[in-house]
Amino acid sequence: MTQSRRSPRNRTVQLRRGVQIAFLLLFFGLLVLAGGVLREGHSSWMKLFFLFDPLLLLSTLLAAGAVPKLLLLALATVVLTVVLGRVFCGWACPLGTIHDLTGRLLDRLQRRLRQEHLSPWQKSKYYLLVGFLVMAALGGHWVAIWDPLVLLYRTSTVALWPAVQLSIEQTAAAVRDAAAVERPLRPKWAQPDEAGQAQQQSSATLKNRLARPVAAVTNPVHGFLKDHVFVVQRQSFLGAGTIAAVFAVLLALNAVRRRFWCRYLCPLGALLGLLAWRPLLRRATHEQSCNQCDLCGQACHGAASAAAGSGWKPSECLGCLNCTASCNRQAMRFTFIWPWQRRPQVETVDLRRRVLLGSAVGGIAALAVMRANPQARQAVFHPQLIRPPGALPEPEFLQRCTACGLCMKVCPTGGLQPAISEAGLEGIWTPRLVPQIGYCQYSCNLCGQVCPTGAIQPLSVEQKQQVRIGLAFFDTTRCIPYAYGRDCTVCWEVCPLPEKAIYTEKVTVVDRNGNTIEVMQPRIDIEKCIGCGNCEHDCVFRDLPAIRVHSANETRHRKNQPELAPPASSDPYG
Amino acid sequence: MHCQSRREFMVRSATTAGALALGAGGIASRALAQDKPVEMTIAKWNGAPKPTNDEIKQIAVKLTEKAIEGLGGMKRFVKQGDVVWVKPNIAWDRSPEQAANTNPEVVATLIRLCFEAGAKRVKVGDNPVHQAKKSYEASGIAAAAKAADAEVVYLDKERFKEVDIKGQRVKSIPIYPDMLEVDLMINVPIAKHHVLATATLAMKNYMGVIENRRVFHQDFNSCLSDITRFMQPKLCVLDAVRVLVAGGPTGGRLEDVRTKLTVAAGTDIVALDALGVELIGRKLTDVPHVPAAEKNGLGKTDYRSLALREIAVS
Repeated sequence: MTQSRRSPRNRTVQLRRGVQIAFLLLFFGLLVLAGGVLREGHSSWMKLFFLFDPLLLLSTLLAAGAVPKLLLLALATVVLTVVLGRVFCGWACPLGTIHDLTGRLLDRLQRRLRQEHLSPWQKSKYYLLVGFLVMAALGGHWVAIWDPLVLLYRTSTVALWPAVQLSIEQTAAAVRDAAAVERPLRPKWAQPDEAGQAQQQSSATLKNRLARPVAAVTNPVHGFLKDHVFVVQRQSFLGAGTIAAVFAVLLALNAVRRRFWCRYLCPLGALLGLLAWRPLLRRATHEQSCNQCDLCGQACHGAASAAAGSGWKPSECLGCLNCTASCNRQAMRFTFIWPWQRRPQVETVDLRRRVLLGSAVGGIAALAVMRANPQARQAVFHPQLIRPPGALPEPEFLQRCTACGLCMKVCPTGGLQPAISEAGLEGIWTPRLVPQIGYCQYSCNLCGQVCPTGAIQPLSVEQKQQVRIGLAFFDTTRCIPYAYGRDCTVCWEVCPLPEKAIYTEKVTVVDRNGNTIEVMQPRIDIEKCIGCGNCEHDCVFRDLPAIRVHSANETRHRKNQPELAPPASSDPYG
Repeated sequence: MHCQSRREFMVRSATTAGALALGAGGIASRALAQDKPVEMTIAKWNGAPKPTNDEIKQIAVKLTEKAIEGLGGMKRFVKQGDVVWVKPNIAWDRSPEQAANTNPEVVATLIRLCFEAGAKRVKVGDNPVHQAKKSYEASGIAAAAKAADAEVVYLDKERFKEVDIKGQRVKSIPIYPDMLEVDLMINVPIAKHHVLATATLAMKNYMGVIENRRVFHQDFNSCLSDITRFMQPKLCVLDAVRVLVAGGPTGGRLEDVRTKLTVAAGTDIVALDALGVELIGRKLTDVPHVPAAEKNGLGKTDYRSLALREIAVS
């Protein structure tokens, strides 16, 4: 009963659901392919959804005073909204669809009939947006990290997909192991020794035989996924739990009100709502036919009407068309009107000046509080805030970075990770390199190519190889040739620079028995090191590497350079 | 044992060729006369000097073919229906011209010879130091191996298994199981300088079948002997088409590359490594892990005492 009331059926509604699912699949399809084939092709398709997002366009324009060309595609969404209203929310937004599906799931659990009409609190999203935009105008790009497309992309990349990857990788490994006959491993071509000969003959156990048909399917499937989808093995991210928790809370809010996020919080929804102030597609109610049964109200995705059958507010309407589909008396329909026509009349957004003022003050205050710390004022630099090569100087970087996670997704070593506290609250979830997890690949410039807002500049590989993102330091209390008088120099070996930023010096040390031994001690050439972190990544110490890269000497900050600045010609920003 | 001069080589090659033709005398005949299978071949380019990069590709193919032919052909090692793992060095995100990875034409030719000898499947793979996909592609080996119908294998980090190798220094180490469960592994290193070991050759190429190899650096001499003894090499092919004489193993500077146009093949891994040391212009005393392996009974450093064939290719 409640089911059918909330989800009416007719052809138009089914079409809308089909479109929603298609966009959802497209979103996740692009996300999955960004880990494989799209990354290899350096394809711009990876950032498709972001390019049609007018909130990113507006906030980048306000905060950075710049417009990345491709983002102008978002004007299409603006036109669409001015004409049709918030159909982006109702038909296309993948996060909206996820909230929609969550709501439908909750409908099965919460059986009571809900009476959800327009709440004045739905204006909160506009006030939040205004506060955020004031913040953006002052250079704070924080609104973008709450953009729904960004939020979903980040959550999926950082938390959800790695969980899928882990499950698949470990299941495949378990099945493979279960199917394999256990015997001591030795080369098959080798001469068998006496013990080995006996062991080679050990036969398949019941477990082996049961697992074999499963493995016959999972092995090739996993092989394909490994080579084409999960190219970065064991890809996973620091702080994924927090990001997942935020997402879980937003989903749970559907239990309070359906599409809580879309109705009360979403900044993109608010922006589109403002654009849909007086759309050309409007709902008209034939008042004589309406018996105020409120079937339309119960089915409404956006809680767009103040009362049964009337008081329609286009800024809240997601264009889901459930109302016309649910009406048994055909009392309402959507019609196109000219901009100068006054009927059918609609409820306007109706924001209060005083609250708007409060929002603006709140936005300014929040930004001031976030920036009033030593790091944001560049009195100090966080040693572990190693930004990807091509990242703008920190203030400009934060004006543009949305923390969407696309660079982290495509980083071929998996070294780009979301910042937790390293970049302050303002820079939460923005990318930083954690060399111990993955280094910056010398021949790769992908992060700058995929960045939708130019926070990481698209550099050529040759330019990128000139950019210093940090500097390597030896911990001589750990480094094996220094601390233990033995050879090692793995760091020298893996340094990718043709001219090597690490060199070695032969020194004589005396061991505890008084013997003199010669060892090769590695040293850093500050003029050459670009801070890629290959050395830190491959150091024999896995808890705390004996060579570590810090942000010192990064090209983008003169103030963070301890050495005399290199000649101007080598400055890629110069 | 310095690198021999071109003249010496030509004279020797001519003698060898003559000996082969006549079926008597010379170095090659030593193998034949004693009716002992050939243990090592050295194929060296004797044609027009200073070939272009495109010509080097064709030369690499010929050298590999001749080196294997000299050993008695691939059929000596590969039986009908065998599964073979060709193990080149694909450690770095470097191009073939930079000589940090095995030459792709050498690899492709070996694959073809395996198939011609009746192999059912040929797999190609290594455990690179740089990111695998980048290294496989930059080295040209991924494309060359695919074109030769081999399976290009990217190793799965979940699958390394701790193996009891009963070494002197290394008791156990994680090894990639699929690399052991084939009928033959052909070890195809490139001859390169190495900062710590001075040279990285066939024995050191086994670093690509294991994980946690970083600790080997603290005692190459014992560790490399241990892993080599465990792997029981049957056939090794040393790529010295281009060699890296300095800045190894990673390389990157073209000034450090020498074009040697040589491919050697053999059953004695220590002998091949000894030859490799010469080819990169070093002495055996500079590369202690090679004589150490001889002491450990893994082969002979004096490769000239083996049943050796030197082949001039043009």
